[in-house]
Amino acid sequence: MLSKSKKETISSLDQKRNVIHSKTGGWIPGTGVFSHGYSMLDELVGEKTYFQIMILNATGKLAEKPLADWVEAIYGCLSWPDPRIWCNQIGALAGVARTSVVAGTTAGILAADSRSYGMYTLIEGTQLIQKCYKQHTNGLSVKNIINLVIESNKGKPNFMGYIRPIAKGDERLERMEVISQKLGFDEGMHLQLAYQIERELQDRFNEGMNINGYISAFLSDQGFTSQEVYQIFSTLVMSGVTACHLEQNNKEPDFFLPLRCNDINYTGHSQRHIEIKK
Amino acid sequence: MSKRKHDEVRSRNEVFTEKTATRIWQETPCDDNPYIAQSALCHGYDLQELMRACSFTDVFYLLFRGELPSKEDSQLLETLMIALINPGPRHAATRAAMNAGIGKSMHVHILPIALTVMGGDHLGGGEIEPAMRFLRKHQKQQPTDVLHILESSEKESIEQNSTGIEISSEKNKKFTPGFGSLYGGIDSLTQTIADQLITLPAAGKALQWGNDFSQLLNLKSSGWLATGLAAAVFADLGFQPKMGGALFQLINAPGLAAHGLELSNKPFTAMPYVRDEDYVIEK
Repeated sequence: MLSKSKKETISSLDQKRNVIHSKTGGWIPGTGVFSHGYSMLDELVGEKTYFQIMILNATGKLAEKPLADWVEAIYGCLSWPDPRIWCNQIGALAGVARTSVVAGTTAGILAADSRSYGMYTLIEGTQLIQKCYKQHTNGLSVKNIINLVIESNKGKPNFMGYIRPIAKGDERLERMEVISQKLGFDEGMHLQLAYQIERELQDRFNEGMNINGYISAFLSDQGFTSQEVYQIFSTLVMSGVTACHLEQNNKEPDFFLPLRCNDINYTGHSQRHIEIKK
Repeated sequence: MSKRKHDEVRSRNEVFTEKTATRIWQETPCDDNPYIAQSALCHGYDLQELMRACSFTDVFYLLFRGELPSKEDSQLLETLMIALINPGPRHAATRAAMNAGIGKSMHVHILPIALTVMGGDHLGGGEIEPAMRFLRKHQKQQPTDVLHILESSEKESIEQNSTGIEISSEKNKKFTPGFGSLYGGIDSLTQTIADQLITLPAAGKALQWGNDFSQLLNLKSSGWLATGLAAAVFADLGFQPKMGGALFQLINAPGLAAHGLELSNKPFTAMPYVRDEDYVIEK
């Protein structure tokens, strides 16, 4: 005898066999292509920018052009053709290995889904500034907000959106501030708090904001959730990886940072032999 | 400008099958829930029985070939799988895995990233299918004749892969996918692996022919590459060429994952980073 819940589960599964229900959209030949209620070919393609369409597909929200232009500028800030950066180096190695440019670029994008850099860190960065903002509106001082974060990180000032790997400071901030102003954006409450946190971290730890902190605070002011921010930037590092792939793909293989056998420092067990069990 | 007339867009209404077919796997549903399998057959063999009676290598072979291997074939495949379990820390795919690890990419992303790089046409899965086709096509010819043909048509066809990107040069000679030089010389480790594989009872025509061809190439500081050796074993075991690249990726996967994961909890500084003064942007 089947239990009621099992029967219901099987029945609801049966209703979905060979059927798709989409709230996002789709293509009906002869009728049109739809995304989140818009006719793509009548209302979006040629009418809105690619980044407006991308944000719509990533969040379901049709952003105004200035915001889409702002997101596009951020993509430019995080797509550098320097193969020393990990995701880009993967692209370069894929070029060495003669993968297709699409495979190499995809591998690099996947690498930037990282706990230390790239788009995944935007989830934590956005969550953090939104949490800090709530605490601040509830009366907590910036100093105490920082103390709480440090406490939750076992005494370490691990503050997502601040303190950049490889280099101190972030040259992208000033450029983005100019672009934001040019596009007509004012500093919202999250961003103002982010700057206050930066001043405090500079005084106490000599560390400042990085581009993650800026993106997280700015887009929080625009009403996006942490998950939406992550979704918007899912291919963030793409063109930098492509550039690194192509440079090596067009050069002789194996001449990109070549390694001698003893350039690898083996620290494992010294040679031993398999014991024959009697 | 007059408006051009185009076809009216309409569905072709092609007839699609109701169900996807597979010869590989059959699941028998539970009596009380058609979505849950209670048993499975792999090419007709019960999974439980395979678990009791077969090695991993046997079932690996069964999945792709549809039949269980002979003892000799299983031994040949397993020996190759051990030989190629790790392309080593200097292979581009391993270095990609290491970059993913040290860069704190998601742990589950490390292997797909590395395998993507391992799918390339240079020392990767992309070489296997053409190498298998090459071996199948030429193994009835004399290696000297084949080398002569390759050398005489080198300019037109050997230096270019399918994308037109150069993968062969004086320093990194590639006569044909799977055979050439490595860093300007013979790939010694692959040759010693070949020496062992060729003594196995299941070593067949492709391995033997490839070894003769490799010896000929030794005179030109070239020979087997790991990709060619894998291609020869796959050909001797009867795998289809289209399967070769994926099999090569699968066989190399353990080493790639191990190296990436080894570095995944280490700081960024645990791998070299080219200094700014050593990074030269050419005008």
